[in-house]
Amino acid sequence: MWKFLLPFAAFVALVVLFAFGLNPKRDIHELPSPLLGKPAPVFTLTDVLDASRTVSNGALKGQVYLLTSWGTWCVECRVELPAMLEISRQHVVPIIGLDYMDDREKAKQWLEQLGNPYTAAAFDSDGRTAIDWGIYGAPETFLVDARGRVIYKFITPLTQEVWEHEFLPRIAAARRDGA
Amino acid sequence: MRTHPARHWLMTWALVVAMQGLAAQPESGQSLDANGQLQNPVLQNRFERITKELRCLVCQNESIADSNVQLASDLRRQVREMLVAGSSDEAIFKFMTDRYGEFVRFGPPLEPKTLLIWGAPFIALLLGVAIVYRIVRQRSRMPLDE
Repeated sequence: MWKFLLPFAAFVALVVLFAFGLNPKRDIHELPSPLLGKPAPVFTLTDVLDASRTVSNGALKGQVYLLTSWGTWCVECRVELPAMLEISRQHVVPIIGLDYMDDREKAKQWLEQLGNPYTAAAFDSDGRTAIDWGIYGAPETFLVDARGRVIYKFITPLTQEVWEHEFLPRIAAARRDGA
Repeated sequence: MRTHPARHWLMTWALVVAMQGLAAQPESGQSLDANGQLQNPVLQNRFERITKELRCLVCQNESIADSNVQLASDLRRQVREMLVAGSSDEAIFKFMTDRYGEFVRFGPPLEPKTLLIWGAPFIALLLGVAIVYRIVRQRSRMPLDE
């Protein structure tokens, strides 16, 4: 009995392992963010478009908002831009764009030529804010609730579909739970 | 066969130039920062050990000591600054795992949910011992061949 059952059990275990390990939908670069459920790191940076103005997420306390990383070096951000512009037009939540590892002039040009979906674009000149948020690429999008806690993180470009299925319900729930 | 003196000189010169090029390359395993080494050799040792233990999240099988990408360089700067400021190794690792998760460390910590990882070699060993024991016992019960 054992002679048959043991190899069979091993086989089933392997199938389960491969089903998880080789799942093509699973992005091996996607890592769970340790920030989830924790207070969003507060930053004060300069505005990409105007170095004399500051952008701080401290001012957004009491509001649900998005923070998304981008840069002119980021090809995927260019892919994402039309969807981001569309989302921005819906005026559901403020969108903070965190521009990092970038050149301010290039970033300015990018926003002026391709369109600016951000309520405010913060210029993270030395990448320290990105480190605080555990950002390791772009685009990475965080959803922060009214209490200032990170409640969701999405990596890879946002699409209308992701926005509707992953973000809108969470935003609605965050608003229901109240500020 | 004799090499022409001028040629000989030329080859030596080419070799010297090539070796200088090599010398300008950073040694393998050393960080590729413009900042150079830390003044204090104890700190430099700790810097090298810590940066080898931290995973570069962009190229996930490289450590931040080996990786050339900007993120790795930013994280090396962070480690360097914390070392100079007197942070302990634990504080530096905690800084990293608070932001990037346990995945940023190559060695998993010993805690309830990683018990299986740490225990697996011992479980395999016990299993092996049990199997060998059974086989030996079965064979010892068999009649001896003539």
